[in-house]
Amino acid sequence: MIPVRCFTCGKVISTAWVEFKQRRDAGEDPKTILDDLGIERYCCRRMLLTHKEIIDDLIPYQ
Amino acid sequence: MNISFSRLDDTIARFTLGDSSPAFANAFRRTMIGEVPTLAIEEVRIYDNNSALFDEMLAHRLGLIPLTTDLRTYVRMEECSCGGEGCPGCCATYTLSVEGPRTVCSSDLIPADPKTAPVHDTIPIVKLVEDQKVVLEARAVLNIGREHAKWQPTLACGYKSYPVITIDERCDACGMCVDECPRGVLALGSRSVEIVEAKLEDCSLCKLCEKACLAGGIGENPAIHINQDDTRYLFVVESDGSLPVREIMEYALLRIKKKSEDLVDILNDISGGTVHEASS
Repeated sequence: MIPVRCFTCGKVISTAWVEFKQRRDAGEDPKTILDDLGIERYCCRRMLLTHKEIIDDLIPYQ
Repeated sequence: MNISFSRLDDTIARFTLGDSSPAFANAFRRTMIGEVPTLAIEEVRIYDNNSALFDEMLAHRLGLIPLTTDLRTYVRMEECSCGGEGCPGCCATYTLSVEGPRTVCSSDLIPADPKTAPVHDTIPIVKLVEDQKVVLEARAVLNIGREHAKWQPTLACGYKSYPVITIDERCDACGMCVDECPRGVLALGSRSVEIVEAKLEDCSLCKLCEKACLAGGIGENPAIHINQDDTRYLFVVESDGSLPVREIMEYALLRIKKKSEDLVDILNDISGGTVHEASS
Protein backbone atom coordinates (compact mmCIF):
# COMPACT_ATOMS: atom_id res chain seq x y z
CA MET A 1 0.00 0.00 0.00
CA ILE A 2 1.12 3.55 -0.69
CA PRO A 3 2.53 5.21 2.50
CA VAL A 4 -0.05 7.52 4.11
CA ARG A 5 2.34 10.47 4.34
CA CYS A 6 5.55 11.68 2.74
CA PHE A 7 8.47 10.23 4.72
CA THR A 8 10.32 13.53 4.78
CA CYS A 9 7.83 16.36 5.24
CA GLY A 10 4.70 14.53 6.40
CA LYS A 11 2.30 15.76 3.72
CA VAL A 12 -0.55 13.32 3.08
CA ILE A 13 0.23 11.96 -0.39
CA SER A 14 -1.78 8.71 -0.34
CA THR A 15 -4.95 10.58 -1.39
CA ALA A 16 -3.33 11.33 -4.74
CA TRP A 17 -2.26 7.76 -5.49
CA VAL A 18 -5.39 6.44 -7.24
CA GLU A 19 -5.55 9.33 -9.68
CA PHE A 20 -1.77 9.34 -10.20
CA LYS A 21 -1.74 5.62 -11.02
CA GLN A 22 -4.68 5.87 -13.40
CA ARG A 23 -3.26 8.78 -15.33
CA ARG A 24 0.29 7.39 -15.40
CA ASP A 25 -0.97 4.06 -16.74
CA ALA A 26 -2.87 5.99 -19.40
CA GLY A 27 0.50 7.27 -20.58
CA GLU A 28 0.52 10.82 -19.25
CA ASP A 29 3.82 12.44 -18.23
CA PRO A 30 4.25 12.03 -14.43
CA LYS A 31 5.51 15.63 -14.20
CA THR A 32 2.22 17.11 -15.39
CA ILE A 33 0.17 14.77 -13.18
CA LEU A 34 2.14 15.73 -10.06
CA ASP A 35 1.90 19.43 -10.91
CA ASP A 36 -1.86 19.04 -11.40
CA LEU A 37 -2.27 17.26 -8.08
CA GLY A 38 -0.43 20.08 -6.28
CA ILE A 39 2.47 17.92 -5.15
CA GLU A 40 5.20 20.51 -5.17
CA ARG A 41 8.22 19.41 -3.15
CA TYR A 42 10.58 16.77 -4.50
CA CYS A 43 10.30 14.72 -1.30
CA CYS A 44 6.57 14.22 -1.88
CA ARG A 45 6.99 13.70 -5.63
CA ARG A 46 9.44 10.81 -5.19
CA MET A 47 6.91 9.08 -2.90
CA LEU A 48 4.50 8.63 -5.82
CA LEU A 49 7.10 8.31 -8.59
CA THR A 50 8.99 5.47 -6.94
CA HIS A 51 6.12 3.55 -5.39
CA LYS A 52 5.54 -0.07 -6.39
CA GLU A 53 2.21 -1.51 -5.31
CA ILE A 54 2.70 -5.09 -4.04
CA ILE A 55 -0.49 -5.57 -2.02
CA ASP A 56 -1.99 -7.80 -4.75
CA ASP A 57 1.01 -10.15 -4.53
CA LEU A 58 0.68 -10.28 -0.74
CA ILE A 59 -3.05 -11.03 -0.57
CA PRO A 60 -2.68 -14.86 -0.74
CA TYR A 61 -0.50 -14.75 2.40
CA GLN A 62 -2.90 -13.33 4.91
CA MET B 1 7.61 42.00 17.21
CA ASN B 2 5.20 42.29 14.29
CA ILE B 3 3.83 39.89 11.70
CA SER B 4 2.62 40.82 8.25
CA PHE B 5 1.03 38.13 6.10
CA SER B 6 1.58 37.86 2.39
CA ARG B 7 -0.62 34.78 2.22
CA LEU B 8 -2.91 33.20 4.79
CA ASP B 9 -5.46 30.45 4.43
CA ASP B 10 -6.27 27.35 6.47
CA THR B 11 -3.45 25.22 5.12
CA ILE B 12 -0.60 27.59 4.27
CA ALA B 13 0.76 30.89 5.54
CA ARG B 14 3.61 33.05 4.29
CA PHE B 15 4.52 35.96 6.48
CA THR B 16 7.29 38.32 7.55
CA LEU B 17 8.26 38.37 11.18
CA GLY B 18 9.66 41.82 11.94
CA ASP B 19 11.49 43.42 14.92
CA SER B 20 12.76 40.03 15.98
CA SER B 21 15.98 38.13 16.63
CA PRO B 22 17.52 34.88 15.32
CA ALA B 23 16.80 33.19 18.66
CA PHE B 24 13.15 34.14 18.65
CA ALA B 25 12.60 33.16 15.01
CA ASN B 26 14.00 29.71 15.70
CA ALA B 27 12.09 29.33 18.96
CA PHE B 28 8.90 30.21 17.08
CA ARG B 29 9.62 27.63 14.38
CA ARG B 30 10.46 24.91 16.88
CA THR B 31 7.38 25.61 18.99
CA MET B 32 5.08 25.44 15.99
CA ILE B 33 6.55 22.07 14.97
CA GLY B 34 7.00 20.43 18.31
CA GLU B 35 4.78 21.99 20.97
CA VAL B 36 1.36 22.51 19.42
CA PRO B 37 -0.87 19.53 20.30
CA THR B 38 -3.04 17.68 17.78
CA LEU B 39 -5.13 14.53 17.81
CA ALA B 40 -3.75 11.27 16.42
CA ILE B 41 -4.75 7.65 16.87
CA GLU B 42 -2.63 6.12 19.63
CA GLU B 43 -4.40 2.92 20.65
CA VAL B 44 -6.10 0.41 18.37
CA ARG B 45 -8.08 -2.60 19.53
CA ILE B 46 -8.31 -5.08 16.68
CA TYR B 47 -11.21 -7.54 16.80
CA ASP B 48 -10.78 -9.01 13.36
CA ASN B 49 -8.06 -8.60 10.76
CA ASN B 50 -7.36 -11.18 8.09
CA SER B 51 -6.09 -8.67 5.54
CA ALA B 52 -2.62 -8.87 4.00
CA LEU B 53 -1.24 -6.30 6.45
CA PHE B 54 -0.15 -7.11 10.00
CA ASP B 55 -2.09 -5.59 12.91
CA GLU B 56 0.92 -3.36 13.72
CA MET B 57 1.12 -1.97 10.18
CA LEU B 58 -2.59 -1.29 10.19
CA ALA B 59 -2.31 0.57 13.50
CA HIS B 60 0.68 2.54 12.21
CA ARG B 61 -1.20 3.62 9.09
CA LEU B 62 -4.19 4.66 11.20
CA GLY B 63 -1.91 6.71 13.46
CA LEU B 64 -0.66 8.78 10.53
CA ILE B 65 -4.14 9.93 9.44
CA PRO B 66 -4.56 13.63 10.30
CA LEU B 67 -7.65 14.25 12.44
CA THR B 68 -9.53 17.53 12.77
CA THR B 69 -8.59 18.86 16.19
CA ASP B 70 -10.60 21.11 18.47
CA LEU B 71 -8.24 22.40 21.14
CA ARG B 72 -11.11 23.91 23.13
CA THR B 73 -12.86 20.56 23.64
CA TYR B 74 -9.92 18.26 24.25
CA VAL B 75 -7.10 18.42 26.78
CA ARG B 76 -3.95 16.36 27.03
CA MET B 77 -4.35 13.09 28.90
CA GLU B 78 -1.98 13.90 31.75
CA GLU B 79 -3.73 17.21 32.38
CA CYS B 80 -7.22 15.67 32.23
CA SER B 81 -9.43 15.34 35.30
CA CYS B 82 -9.73 11.59 34.66
CA GLY B 83 -6.06 11.23 35.69
CA GLY B 84 -4.79 9.63 32.49
CA GLU B 85 -7.30 6.80 32.28
CA GLY B 86 -9.03 8.10 29.16
CA CYS B 87 -12.40 9.85 29.09
CA PRO B 88 -14.40 11.82 26.47
CA GLY B 89 -12.51 14.95 27.63
CA CYS B 90 -9.12 13.71 26.47
CA CYS B 91 -9.80 10.86 24.00
CA ALA B 92 -11.65 10.62 20.70
CA THR B 93 -12.90 7.17 19.78
CA TYR B 94 -13.46 5.64 16.35
CA THR B 95 -14.87 2.41 15.01
CA LEU B 96 -14.08 0.74 11.71
CA SER B 97 -15.78 -2.31 10.26
CA VAL B 98 -15.27 -3.24 6.61
CA GLU B 99 -15.69 -6.45 4.65
CA GLY B 100 -14.03 -7.09 1.28
CA PRO B 101 -13.82 -6.88 -1.61
CA ARG B 102 -12.94 -3.18 -1.50
CA THR B 103 -10.30 -0.78 -0.21
CA VAL B 104 -10.65 0.46 3.37
CA CYS B 105 -10.54 4.27 3.34
CA SER B 106 -10.19 6.88 6.06
CA SER B 107 -13.90 7.70 5.54
CA ASP B 108 -14.71 4.22 6.94
CA LEU B 109 -13.30 5.40 10.25
CA ILE B 110 -16.48 6.45 12.08
CA PRO B 111 -15.80 9.01 14.84
CA ALA B 112 -17.89 9.00 18.02
CA ASP B 113 -17.59 12.82 17.95
CA PRO B 114 -18.21 14.13 14.40
CA LYS B 115 -15.94 17.14 15.12
CA THR B 116 -12.91 14.84 15.14
CA ALA B 117 -13.41 13.29 11.70
CA PRO B 118 -10.32 12.55 9.56
CA VAL B 119 -9.20 15.56 7.51
CA HIS B 120 -9.15 13.57 4.24
CA ASP B 121 -11.77 11.00 3.28
CA THR B 122 -9.84 9.13 0.63
CA ILE B 123 -6.68 7.92 2.39
CA PRO B 124 -6.38 4.22 1.47
CA ILE B 125 -5.66 2.06 4.53
CA VAL B 126 -5.67 -1.50 3.22
CA LYS B 127 -7.01 -3.34 0.19
CA LEU B 128 -9.37 -6.24 0.94
CA VAL B 129 -10.48 -9.08 -1.34
CA GLU B 130 -13.39 -11.50 -0.97
CA ASP B 131 -13.72 -12.99 2.55
CA GLN B 132 -11.27 -10.54 4.11
CA LYS B 133 -12.45 -8.39 6.97
CA VAL B 134 -11.20 -5.66 9.29
CA VAL B 135 -13.05 -4.78 12.49
CA LEU B 136 -11.41 -2.47 15.01
CA GLU B 137 -11.82 0.26 17.56
CA ALA B 138 -9.36 3.14 17.82
CA ARG B 139 -8.63 5.79 20.39
CA ALA B 140 -7.03 9.12 19.50
CA VAL B 141 -5.34 11.32 22.08
CA LEU B 142 -3.95 14.84 22.12
CA ASN B 143 -0.17 15.06 22.23
CA ILE B 144 2.75 17.06 20.81
CA GLY B 145 5.13 16.63 17.90
CA ARG B 146 8.11 16.22 20.21
CA GLU B 147 6.59 12.92 21.35
CA HIS B 148 5.99 11.52 17.86
CA ALA B 149 5.86 13.09 14.38
CA LYS B 150 2.23 11.96 13.93
CA TRP B 151 1.21 14.72 16.38
CA GLN B 152 3.04 17.42 14.41
CA PRO B 153 0.54 19.96 13.07
CA THR B 154 2.96 21.44 10.49
CA LEU B 155 4.45 20.08 7.28
CA ALA B 156 6.94 22.49 5.76
CA CYS B 157 7.68 24.99 8.52
CA GLY B 158 10.76 27.12 8.07
CA TYR B 159 12.20 30.59 7.68
CA LYS B 160 15.00 32.56 6.10
CA SER B 161 16.48 35.96 6.90
CA TYR B 162 15.13 38.88 4.91
CA PRO B 163 17.55 39.56 2.03
CA VAL B 164 19.19 42.97 1.69
CA ILE B 165 20.66 43.61 -1.74
CA THR B 166 22.88 46.63 -2.24
CA ILE B 167 24.19 47.61 -5.64
CA ASP B 168 26.89 50.29 -5.54
CA GLU B 169 27.83 52.91 -8.13
CA ARG B 170 30.69 50.80 -9.55
CA CYS B 171 28.09 48.59 -11.31
CA ASP B 172 28.56 48.94 -15.08
CA ALA B 173 25.37 47.05 -16.03
CA CYS B 174 27.29 44.20 -17.63
CA GLY B 175 24.38 41.86 -16.83
CA MET B 176 26.48 38.88 -15.69
CA CYS B 177 24.68 38.72 -12.31
CA VAL B 178 21.28 38.91 -14.02
CA ASP B 179 22.08 35.80 -16.06
CA GLU B 180 23.45 34.00 -13.02
CA CYS B 181 20.54 34.58 -10.59
CA PRO B 182 18.48 31.35 -10.37
CA ARG B 183 15.43 33.11 -8.92
CA GLY B 184 15.18 35.98 -11.40
CA VAL B 185 15.54 38.66 -8.72
CA LEU B 186 17.72 40.99 -10.81
CA ALA B 187 17.10 42.84 -14.06
CA LEU B 188 19.13 45.16 -16.24
CA GLY B 189 18.27 48.82 -15.69
CA SER B 190 19.36 51.78 -17.78
CA ARG B 191 22.65 52.49 -15.98
CA SER B 192 23.00 49.67 -13.48
CA VAL B 193 21.43 46.39 -12.39
CA GLU B 194 18.12 46.74 -10.56
CA ILE B 195 15.98 44.54 -8.35
CA VAL B 196 12.78 43.35 -10.03
CA GLU B 197 9.75 44.70 -8.25
CA ALA B 198 8.21 42.27 -5.69
CA LYS B 199 10.95 39.74 -6.42
CA LEU B 200 13.29 40.65 -3.54
CA GLU B 201 11.69 38.11 -1.19
CA ASP B 202 12.46 35.31 -3.68
CA CYS B 203 16.21 35.81 -3.20
CA SER B 204 17.69 32.66 -1.66
CA LEU B 205 20.89 34.44 -0.46
CA CYS B 206 22.98 32.11 -2.65
CA LYS B 207 25.40 34.96 -3.56
CA LEU B 208 25.96 33.63 -7.10
CA CYS B 209 25.53 37.23 -8.29
CA GLU B 210 28.49 38.32 -6.13
CA LYS B 211 30.64 35.61 -7.71
CA ALA B 212 29.46 36.55 -11.20
CA CYS B 213 30.30 40.18 -10.52
CA LEU B 214 33.84 39.26 -9.41
CA ALA B 215 34.26 37.02 -12.46
CA GLY B 216 33.43 40.04 -14.60
CA GLY B 217 36.77 41.55 -13.47
CA ILE B 218 35.50 44.35 -11.23
CA GLY B 219 38.40 43.94 -8.79
CA GLU B 220 38.68 42.70 -5.20
CA ASN B 221 35.13 43.63 -4.13
CA PRO B 222 31.95 42.94 -6.06
CA ALA B 223 29.63 45.84 -6.91
CA ILE B 224 26.64 43.86 -5.65
CA HIS B 225 26.33 42.78 -2.04
CA ILE B 226 23.87 40.28 -0.54
CA ASN B 227 23.31 40.66 3.19
CA GLN B 228 20.72 39.39 5.58
CA ASP B 229 18.57 41.46 7.89
CA ASP B 230 18.82 39.85 11.33
CA THR B 231 15.63 41.51 12.55
CA ARG B 232 13.28 40.31 9.81
CA TYR B 233 12.41 36.75 8.81
CA LEU B 234 10.39 35.25 6.00
CA PHE B 235 8.36 32.30 7.24
CA VAL B 236 6.48 29.55 5.44
CA VAL B 237 4.14 27.45 7.57
CA GLU B 238 2.06 24.65 6.12
CA SER B 239 -0.55 22.73 8.09
CA ASP B 240 -1.57 19.09 7.65
CA GLY B 241 -5.20 20.17 8.05
CA SER B 242 -5.71 19.13 11.67
CA LEU B 243 -5.50 22.77 12.80
CA PRO B 244 -5.76 25.99 10.78
CA VAL B 245 -2.35 27.68 10.41
CA ARG B 246 -3.52 30.74 12.29
CA GLU B 247 -4.40 28.63 15.32
CA ILE B 248 -1.01 26.88 15.20
CA MET B 249 0.74 30.26 15.24
CA GLU B 250 -1.39 31.69 18.03
CA TYR B 251 -0.96 28.62 20.18
CA ALA B 252 2.80 28.58 19.60
CA LEU B 253 3.18 32.25 20.58
CA LEU B 254 1.13 31.76 23.77
CA ARG B 255 3.25 28.70 24.53
CA ILE B 256 6.52 30.67 24.19
CA LYS B 257 5.08 33.38 26.43
CA LYS B 258 4.02 30.86 29.06
CA LYS B 259 7.39 29.12 29.00
CA SER B 260 9.37 32.34 29.37
CA GLU B 261 7.15 33.51 32.22
CA ASP B 262 7.67 30.17 33.96
CA LEU B 263 11.41 30.63 33.51
CA VAL B 264 11.26 34.07 35.14
CA ASP B 265 9.34 32.58 38.07
CA ILE B 266 11.88 29.82 38.53
CA LEU B 267 14.79 32.28 38.35
CA ASN B 268 13.02 34.48 40.89
CA ASP B 269 12.62 31.50 43.20
CA ILE B 270 16.32 30.73 42.96
CA SER B 271 17.64 34.28 43.22
CA GLY B 272 15.09 35.60 45.70
CA GLY B 273 13.09 37.92 43.44
CA THR B 274 15.61 40.03 41.56
CA VAL B 275 14.62 39.07 37.99
CA HIS B 276 12.22 41.40 36.21
CA GLU B 277 9.96 40.38 33.40
CA ALA B 278 11.07 41.78 30.09
CA SER B 279 8.40 43.38 27.98
CA SER B 280 8.04 42.08 24.45
